[in-house]
Amino acid sequence: MSVEEQIRDIVSRIAHIDKSIITRESTFKEMKADSLDVVQALVAVEEAFDIEIPDEEAQKFQNFGDFVSYVESQTAKKDEA
Amino acid sequence: MSFEGKLALVTGSGRGIGRATALKLASLGCDIIVNYFRRRETAESTAKDIQALGVRAEVIKANVGDPAKIDAMFDTIANKFGYLDIFVSNAASGVGRPIMDVDVKAWDWTMDINAKAFLLCVQRAAKLMEGRAGTVVSISSLGSRFVWPTYAAVGVSKAALEALTRYLAIEMIPKGIRVNAVSASAVNTEALQFYIREGYVKDSKQTTPTGRMVTPEDVANVVAFLCSDEAFMIRGQTIIVDGGTSVAPFVPGGQEQA
Ligand SMILES: NC(=O)c1ccc[n+]([C@@H]2O[C@H](COP(=O)([O-])OP(=O)(O)OC[C@H]3O[C@@H](n4cnc5c(N)ncnc54)[C@H](OP(=O)(O)O)[C@@H]3O)[C@@H](O)[C@H]2O)c1
Repeated sequence: MSVEEQIRDIVSRIAHIDKSIITRESTFKEMKADSLDVVQALVAVEEAFDIEIPDEEAQKFQNFGDFVSYVESQTAKKDEA
Repeated sequence: MSFEGKLALVTGSGRGIGRATALKLASLGCDIIVNYFRRRETAESTAKDIQALGVRAEVIKANVGDPAKIDAMFDTIANKFGYLDIFVSNAASGVGRPIMDVDVKAWDWTMDINAKAFLLCVQRAAKLMEGRAGTVVSISSLGSRFVWPTYAAVGVSKAALEALTRYLAIEMIPKGIRVNAVSASAVNTEALQFYIREGYVKDSKQTTPTGRMVTPEDVANVVAFLCSDEAFMIRGQTIIVDGGTSVAPFVPGGQEQA
């Protein structure tokens, strides 16, 4: 499963929304994710990929695609190390 | 008061009241385990400040809302130290919403971190305190007994925390463990910023008879006292640190102090 698919699974499970409607352009608001959903998704993704996502970075995510790109960049960094 | 040679775990001690408590205990000679949730750098910088006081500091990440993470944290403490003298249940989270908007997820999140974690942590901590006259302090808030706007979920979780503190205080007597709580009114930490932004907390200088807001250090001082031998006969109490606010709802704040 790609990073994107794994994150889509996590977000859909936490925010109780259908996976098929989450695109890279979807905003958290469109996904009806409230601030608790966002925190829980961040925690779940941090655990799944064994990375850290500082709040300052998370606040910059405009949409689902930004979230995925950030995680991809962190996992790539980890693989290099 | 000295805690030399003792070891304390303070949950959520990277910042705020937890940090002040960790530093206070460290200044009295206590080694400290700094637990954090998501802010590693903040926790590490607190650990450095603790080490600068000449005691040992270990940093452990654990979401206390997750029982498996609590177990992992105590496994680490058991392996690295094999004992514990002081446990301060300080970490808290919550969802500031009117009651009609508190859904199952918000309720569980708040209860898991603020109340259930206390039970699970004390069960593990008690084993590490065997034969060491341990002390436990939980950090509560006045919202457990007074109604604050959008604070229902957190207030109820704090009421559970205080009730559990009383039950534990009695059931832990045979183990030689003392258990109490410290409850504060508004304290100027990051947690309060939400309530200030939403306009729920006004200038506490004006609402506190003592004329100033409670500081994290005010709370830390009482925690340290409760952990000391001097507090031996205090059991299951919730000590309120609020500059007089709760006993004087009709007294204007900001009185001159000698
Ligand atoms: N501020 C007030 O007005 C006030 C008044 C009365 C009582 N209190 C109580 O005092 C305590 C400390 O509050 P504060 O104002 O210092 O809070 P704060 O500044 O918001 O800090 C919260 C702390 O708890 C940690 N934390 C949050 N969720 C956690 C989790 N799931 N697992 C582990 N740690 C977690 C945080 O870790 P990270 O740094 O890693 O995020 C942080 O260290 C709380 O019990 C609070 O209810 C506060």
